[in-house]
Amino acid sequence: MIHKRFLAITIAVALVASIFSSCSQGETAAKAKKVEKPTSISLMVDGTFLPKENGQDILVEGYKALTGIELVVNQPAHNEYYQKLNLAFSTGDVPDVVLLGSYAYASYGANGSLYDLTELYEKSSLKDRVKDPAIIEALKINGRLYGIPYERGNGTVTYVRGDWLEKLGLQPPTNYDEFINMLRLFKNKNPDGLKPDKVIPLTAAGLVNSEYPLDIYLREFYQDASPDFIKKDGKWIDGMSDPAMVAALKRMRDAYAEGLIDKEIITNKTSTCRDKFYSGVVGVFNYWAGTWNRNLALNIEKNNPQAKVTPIPAIKETKYIERPATVIAITKNCKNPEAVFKYFFEFLLDGDKGQTFATFGVEGKTYEIKDGMIQFLPSVQDPAKPFVKAWFSPELPVFDWNPAWKPTDERITNSLAIFQKDAVSYKVFPSSDTISQLLPELNTIKANYVTKIVYGTLSIEEGLAQYQKDAQKYVEAILAELAKVAP
Amino acid sequence: MFPMKKRTLTLSWVMKKMYHDRMYYLMFLPVFVFALLFCYLPMVGVLLAFFDFTPFKFKFVGLANFMDLFFGIRSVNFWRSVYNTLFLSLSNLALGTILAVSIALLLNEIEQKKFKAFVQSVLYLPHFLSWVVVASIFTIILSPQGGLINNIFAFLGKERIYFLAEEKWWTPIYLFVSRWKETGWGTIIYLAALSGINPELYEAAEIDGAGKWKQALYITLPSLLPTIIIVFVLNLGKVLNIFESVFVLMNPNVLKVSDVVSVFAYRTGIQQANYGMGTAIGLFKSLIGMSLVLITNKINERIRGSSIF
Repeated sequence: MIHKRFLAITIAVALVASIFSSCSQGETAAKAKKVEKPTSISLMVDGTFLPKENGQDILVEGYKALTGIELVVNQPAHNEYYQKLNLAFSTGDVPDVVLLGSYAYASYGANGSLYDLTELYEKSSLKDRVKDPAIIEALKINGRLYGIPYERGNGTVTYVRGDWLEKLGLQPPTNYDEFINMLRLFKNKNPDGLKPDKVIPLTAAGLVNSEYPLDIYLREFYQDASPDFIKKDGKWIDGMSDPAMVAALKRMRDAYAEGLIDKEIITNKTSTCRDKFYSGVVGVFNYWAGTWNRNLALNIEKNNPQAKVTPIPAIKETKYIERPATVIAITKNCKNPEAVFKYFFEFLLDGDKGQTFATFGVEGKTYEIKDGMIQFLPSVQDPAKPFVKAWFSPELPVFDWNPAWKPTDERITNSLAIFQKDAVSYKVFPSSDTISQLLPELNTIKANYVTKIVYGTLSIEEGLAQYQKDAQKYVEAILAELAKVAP
Repeated sequence: MFPMKKRTLTLSWVMKKMYHDRMYYLMFLPVFVFALLFCYLPMVGVLLAFFDFTPFKFKFVGLANFMDLFFGIRSVNFWRSVYNTLFLSLSNLALGTILAVSIALLLNEIEQKKFKAFVQSVLYLPHFLSWVVVASIFTIILSPQGGLINNIFAFLGKERIYFLAEEKWWTPIYLFVSRWKETGWGTIIYLAALSGINPELYEAAEIDGAGKWKQALYITLPSLLPTIIIVFVLNLGKVLNIFESVFVLMNPNVLKVSDVVSVFAYRTGIQQANYGMGTAIGLFKSLIGMSLVLITNKINERIRGSSIF
C-alpha cells in the first residue's frame, strides 16, 4: 500500500515537473523562434531610398549577401508616398517596416499601427551610442518609442547670395532690421545691376508650409510666432490666436507690399523657387541645410560663375527649426518584430558593416576605398555625378560611429554646422484619430487666411477675425483632443 | 403601316434570337465584360460612404458621414465647394455652348476648304494639351513678375495685377482658360450637325429674300436645337466633375472661389485618408449629377415633346 502510494506521488511529481520543464522549453523555443532570422523583410520607403533606376538592386543584393535576408522593397513615387502608405494600411497590405516622417509617425503611433520599440531599444546597444538622447526623447509618444531615427531630422537654413553681400560691403545680418535692410539693398542697389522690378530679394514656396512645422520657412518673419498649435504657459493654444502672430503677419505684409518678398510666393512651388534662384535673380532663399548648399551652388554657377551661396546664422530674434527625425518603424502586422529589430534596425545602425552598407552601399559598386577613405563611385543613373548616399545621409548620423569618410564638399558641413548651432529641436506633434482627420483641413484654412492678410486682401484684424469664425469648430475640437492626449 | 405580329416572349424565342445574332453578341462581349468589371463592379464601393474608413479603422456609421458633411464641422467648406462647383460648371457650360455654336456657325461659312481645315486644327489643338501644361503656360503669361500681360500693363503705365491670386480675377481667368482649351473641340459635334441640314432650306430662304442673319436665326439654329439640347443635357451630368482644371490653377489665396467638390473630395479622401468621407462626397456628387440630368431631360420632354431617354 505504502509502496503504491509512494509510486503514485513520485509519478505525480514527475508529471508536474515534466509539465513545467516543457513549458520552459516552450518559452525557450518561443524565444528562440522570436529572434529567428527571417527569410525576408518587406519594406516601404519613399524617394530618399536609392531608386530602382539608380541602383536599388545593388542594395537589395548587398543586404542579402550580408544577412542572408531577402529585402522586398516597395517604393512608390516620392510625392505619392503617404497616399500609398495610407492605402496599404487601409487594405491590410502592410509591410514589416515603414519609413515615416514626424507627422505620419505621430498619427500611426497614436492610432496603434506601430510596434512599441521602447523595450527593444532600451535593451539594445543603440541606446548607448546615440549622439543626442534628446533626438530619441523628441520621438516618444506618451512616453513610448515607436520608431528609430536613422538620421537627424535636419531643417532649413537661410541662404544668401554671398557675392552680393561682398559687393555691397555687407556682413550677414544679425537682426531683423539688418535683414530687411539687406533685402532693400538687394532690390534697389543690386550688385549685378538688375533693375528693382527684376530682382526677387527673397523667395519661398508659400507663406505657410504644407506640413508640420508650418513655419519652417520664413523664419526671419515668423520669429517667435507660429501658425501651429503651441504650448504656452503649459496650455495648448492655436498659434494663430497668439499676439506674436499679429506682429509676424505685419512683418510679412509690410515686406510683401514693399516688394521684398517674391510677388509669386502664393503660387510658388519649391521647384519654381529653385529655378528662380538658379537664374540668379534671387537674393535670399531659406532651404534645406547640408547637401542642398552644394546643389544650389552648383546650379547657380552654371548661369553665373561668380555667384556664391552663403548660409547665414539665424538672426537674433529667431532660431532655425530641426524637425523631429524621420524614423523607420515596425508595423503591428510584422510577424517577428524582435527579429526584424535585430536583423534590420540594429544591423543597419551597428556602427560597423551594417551602417557602412546603409550609408555608403556596396564596395566596388557604389563606393570604393581610396587611401583608406571611402569615396563614392559614379552613380548608375548619371555617371557624370557620384552617388551621394545609399540610404542614410553620412552627414546626419544619429548614432555614434567613425566611418572612414570625410565630406568632400565643405559647403555641406559648413551649412550643417551653421544650422545645428542655431536650431531648436521640435518634438513630434501629438496625434489622435480626431487630430489626424481635422488638422490637415485646418492647416488649409490657416494658409488661406495668412495668404489673404499678407497679400493685402484683408487687414490683419479682419483676416484673423474671419479665420476665428471659419476655423472655430476645428480649433475647439483639436484643442480638446490635445488636452486629452498631451496634457 | 403593317401592324407588328404579336409575339409571346418565351425563353426559347429569346435563345433562338440570340443564337441567330450570336456574332453581334460575341462582338459586344468584351465591351460588356469591361463595363461590368470597371464601371459597374466598382460601384459596390459606394457602400464605403456609410463607413468610418481610415487607415486605422473600418466601422459602420450609417449616415454619420453625410450628417458631418451637411451639418457638421466640415459643412461650411463643403457647401462652399458645392456652390463653387455649380457656379463654375454652369457658367462654363453656358459659355461653352454659346461659343461652340457661334464658332461652328462661323466655321461653316468658310468656303475655302484648306483655310477651314487650318482654322479647325488650330482651334482643336489646345484640347490635346494637358491641364498641367496649360496651367504652367497661363501662370507664366499672367505672372506679376515678367508675365506678358503685366509687362504690357507696366508699359502702359498701369499697375501690375496678380491675376491668379485675386479672387475677383481668378474666376474669369479660369473660365477664359477653360474656353480657350475646350471650345474648339466642342465645335466638332455642331459642325457635324450643321452639315446635316438640308441645303434646299437655305436655297428657299435665299429666294424668299432672307439674308445670312435671318437664315441663321430661322433655319440653322432651329435645326441645331436638338443637338444643342442633347449635348447640353449630357454635359449637365458631368457638371460636378470638374477637378483637374481647378486643381492646377488654384492656390491658398483664392480658396473661397476655387475650392470645388472634387478637390474637396480629393483632399478629404486621398490626402487626409478619410476614405469613407471621400466616398460620401463622391456619392453626393453622383446623385446630384444624375438628378440634374433627369430633371433637364424631363423639362426638355415637356417643352419639346421628346426626350433623350
